[in-house]
Amino acid sequence: MSRLMLTRYLRLLPMLLLWVAPATLARELRMQVATLRTPVATLERVRLQLHWDDHAQQGQLQLWAGKVDAAGLGYHYRNVHWQCPLQRRPNAGWQCAGALRSGTLPPLQLAVQWDDAATRAQLRQGQAQLALARVAATPDVTTLMLHKLPVVWAQALMAQAWPVARLKAGVVDGQLQVQTPTALPLRMLGKLQVTGMGLDTRDASIAGEQLTGRLQLDYRSTSTLTDVQLDGQLQGGEFLAGNTYVALPTTPVTVHVAAHKTGSAGWQIPKIEWRDGDALTANAMVQMHADGSVQALSVQAHSDDMTPLKPRYLSGWMGVMGMGDVTLHGALDLDAQVNADGLAAVNAQLHGVDLQDPNGRFVFDGLRGGLRYSAGAPVESTLQWQGGQLYGLKFGPATLPFASSAGQLRTRAAIAVPMMGGTLGLRDVVIRPPQGEHGMDIGFGLQLAAIDFGKVSQALGLPAFQGTLGGSIPRAHYAQDRVDFEGGLTLQLFDGRVAFSALSLERPFGTAPSLSADIAMDDLDLLRLTEVLGFGSISGKLDGRVTGLRLVDWTPVAFDARFITDDAPGVRKRISQRAVQDIGSVGGSSFIQTLQGKAVALFKDFGYRRIGIGCHLENQICAMNGLHSAGNTFTIVEGAGVPRLDVVGYNRAVDWATLVERLLAASKGEVAPVIH
Amino acid sequence: MKQWMGVPGMGVPVVGALLLSACVTINVYFPAAEAKQAAKEFVEKVINEADKVQIKETPAGSGGMALQAPRARFDVSGFDPWVLLGIGSAQAQAAPDISIKTPAIQAIQSRMETRFNSSLRAGFDSGALGFTDDGLVSVRDAAKVDLKDRVALNTAVADDNRDRKAVYREVAVANGHPEWEAQIRGVFAKQWISSARPGWWYQAGGAWKQK
Repeated sequence: MSRLMLTRYLRLLPMLLLWVAPATLARELRMQVATLRTPVATLERVRLQLHWDDHAQQGQLQLWAGKVDAAGLGYHYRNVHWQCPLQRRPNAGWQCAGALRSGTLPPLQLAVQWDDAATRAQLRQGQAQLALARVAATPDVTTLMLHKLPVVWAQALMAQAWPVARLKAGVVDGQLQVQTPTALPLRMLGKLQVTGMGLDTRDASIAGEQLTGRLQLDYRSTSTLTDVQLDGQLQGGEFLAGNTYVALPTTPVTVHVAAHKTGSAGWQIPKIEWRDGDALTANAMVQMHADGSVQALSVQAHSDDMTPLKPRYLSGWMGVMGMGDVTLHGALDLDAQVNADGLAAVNAQLHGVDLQDPNGRFVFDGLRGGLRYSAGAPVESTLQWQGGQLYGLKFGPATLPFASSAGQLRTRAAIAVPMMGGTLGLRDVVIRPPQGEHGMDIGFGLQLAAIDFGKVSQALGLPAFQGTLGGSIPRAHYAQDRVDFEGGLTLQLFDGRVAFSALSLERPFGTAPSLSADIAMDDLDLLRLTEVLGFGSISGKLDGRVTGLRLVDWTPVAFDARFITDDAPGVRKRISQRAVQDIGSVGGSSFIQTLQGKAVALFKDFGYRRIGIGCHLENQICAMNGLHSAGNTFTIVEGAGVPRLDVVGYNRAVDWATLVERLLAASKGEVAPVIH
Repeated sequence: MKQWMGVPGMGVPVVGALLLSACVTINVYFPAAEAKQAAKEFVEKVINEADKVQIKETPAGSGGMALQAPRARFDVSGFDPWVLLGIGSAQAQAAPDISIKTPAIQAIQSRMETRFNSSLRAGFDSGALGFTDDGLVSVRDAAKVDLKDRVALNTAVADDNRDRKAVYREVAVANGHPEWEAQIRGVFAKQWISSARPGWWYQAGGAWKQK
């Protein structure tokens, strides 16, 4: 653009030519100027040469400039040379059009016309065209007409405001007025249509591509103050800043920005308005440090329809957080303040917001009310939901009264969430959002009361266990992607009790969630258990202990389990023939001692004295044991009465996958009798 | 199934438990060489080009107790179960293996392999990505990637790092030593760099270097 500023210099030419023109002989004019200053550009080591043959219609004009600096606009050129045929025009006018070269840059075509009334210049390269007009009556006003002008040409201008940015692609059409009054700031204003603009910062943290829109610009700059007013209508393109990815819709988004910068201080942006239909209306204010970091930020946002928010604005963050597939619906008001210490305050008002993770981790329906966070003074809010699901376990409506101060979010009262026929109680919830290097930290107490385990089993696809789950976890703590539970839960199951303790959950919503627990079982009614498991039929009571249980992705990878029948007065101890086969098959290989196998088929059931089986699972191998072991064998069932039947397992090391296959086959009754 | 069917045994009255307790020694040192071997196997499988022939092994009855180079699945019937119970030779005690063959780890590994081939490999080839010195992946030069692919790449890197952390943790836990997590991670970190192809970037002492 500054190449055009040369035309300022050309204003001198008519005067010079006044005494060249009447000549009747070939004349040559040479002139040298050490430094030539104009309001926009400074030219150094300027040489001008005009050669005019006698009676010729035109002369040859050549102009050199060792250095052209338009400091206010950021343009600097070296070794500029322009050569053109100089011709007269009416009204004491002149015109000259020829190639303009600077260093090794590709040449441009520069055409200049001037007369008493106006100066016009046109710079062309291919389709790109930049025309300039200045009327003598208003010498401080230059009008620029842009036609398919590469955005890259504005690189130096952009670098004035944003040094690390690189313009990569796009064209600009429109008209700009540049005002250069001597005592006043440089001012540019006009309307531009930008098409397919691409930009990138040096560290690639901010980038834009295919940005298209209409802009109305008012830019003022002095050596101490830069002020920008921008009104625009964006029509597509994408933009990335850190993890914030904005995919602009094809519907227009109107934007208004007012920003200013004093001296070497950072940008102050007192006004950013963003209007994206129903999806997002936002007003923001930003104060930046000189290094571009945020000193203070305040945002007020409103969304009547959150559905498009994710694809348009949130996909970057949600993807990085592992929530890329989560869908959002509903309406939201958000007011957030960030200061140098981080998040200072948030006030979110939710109006029927639905959150759903298609991967089945969670669902929240009908979120309503407020959620307020404060890093300073106390604030209160109340959030409600209609219902939802956690890993397929449905829960009902709940009200969450929150209070927040000093960077913590706490519940003001206990929360009762109806769940699976019972209640999930939460109390003393304290949430510390991530701050600096510290990740999210949540403390809470948990109580389960009268949860229908039948429903839980159904939801989790377990066998149809019937029972009630209850218990108290006085303190649970979530930090570093891990929840530890103090206390335990008790499950009333099959007339007995199952107690869970030493519970912890790693990566609850992340990669391969991992649950650890110790489980103790007391006096479970075997008849009901075996019925549910489809595992033949055994009457009696069962005790058991599973220590060091670890489920990864809800699949057991390690435990030390042992189950043994318990004597109870008045309880018959019988085992059906089918159960014998099933136990036998699960025990790897089994055989029946003291009774020939074929005889087993003759009896429906047998008496037993004790049944015991254990498995130590590690590295995918289940090391099995029974009531007692002998060499590679272990006794699972000790018979009683006549006919007396013992079941002995053979080969204590069993591949876990094989064992599970067998258990499933046994529960489906697919075990073929193994008779020796 | 047939091979599992034992013949009627004689109920040899050997009290295995006595034997067990007689020779159990507790190893608490970190088996660095075995960890390196396991890490190498894991990493190579993720990084290796898909055109290499891979014969997928189903978890053998041998479990994960011996996980050196892939080998023939051996007949379970010939397996000495005592080894599993810690009643092997003294050497078995002295050189515990690091197992990476739990279904969870293998599921993560296979996901990482797919992700590596679908997006991360191109990032490493172009120089956009690098291996960090703590066993993760980082976007070191986002400018190498078109904007439209950058969001997907950021997501893939975040997903992969979550998987990596889970692997380091689960390998430690699966081998009965959760406290080894940091050491396992260190071994894997070295292995990713060691298995990296020429031209790929990695972090060393805080600076990026090209292999």
